[in-house]
Amino acid sequence: MACSCSCGGDCKVTLLYACSGAANTGLLADQVARTLSTREVGGMTCLSGVAANISGFVVSAQEADMNVVIDGCKVGCGARIFKEKGLPFEHAVITDFGVTKGETPITAELIESVSDQIAQRIA
Amino acid sequence: MKIQILGTGCPKCKALEANTIKAIEDGALDATVEKITDIDQIMDMGVMMTPALAIDGEVLSAGKILNKDQILALVKGGR
Repeated sequence: MACSCSCGGDCKVTLLYACSGAANTGLLADQVARTLSTREVGGMTCLSGVAANISGFVVSAQEADMNVVIDGCKVGCGARIFKEKGLPFEHAVITDFGVTKGETPITAELIESVSDQIAQRIA
Repeated sequence: MKIQILGTGCPKCKALEANTIKAIEDGALDATVEKITDIDQIMDMGVMMTPALAIDGEVLSAGKILNKDQILALVKGGR
């Protein structure tokens, strides 16, 4: 079982990071990460905390069994942050799921669909 | 020096606290131990896995029960 806290248990720790950028793709990345966190696929935590070198976020990323970075678009800001710090991660990019930056409306159905696909990919 | 043990009180957290006290005693460290059990405070420090250990506010380990020697190594420059 995936979880975000290893205290008292031996479950796999998966941490989720969303770029949360300004475009519709950033919104979807954020909503998908929250959906996956609610489903307990992993625990959502702050990409900006890692970027800012706040020690707790960086050490948590170092020690997690899996980090999943969900970027909105091909710019890949989240992936760049993780690469820059030498942190391991799995990468998902929202535009790879048929979403066009600046155009595709973000609906509840789309959030569920992309969440399902990412959950399957990292299972 | 202030060594902070972050955890909500599970057996792993208590084990890390015990190992930390042993490290302080065996290493004759001038250090105090502070337990942080409030989950909001733990999350505010960015820690997603407990037990965690911080020295003077800097988180150095998360999700592990460090032994005495590992704690001493962190204190003595493995930071």
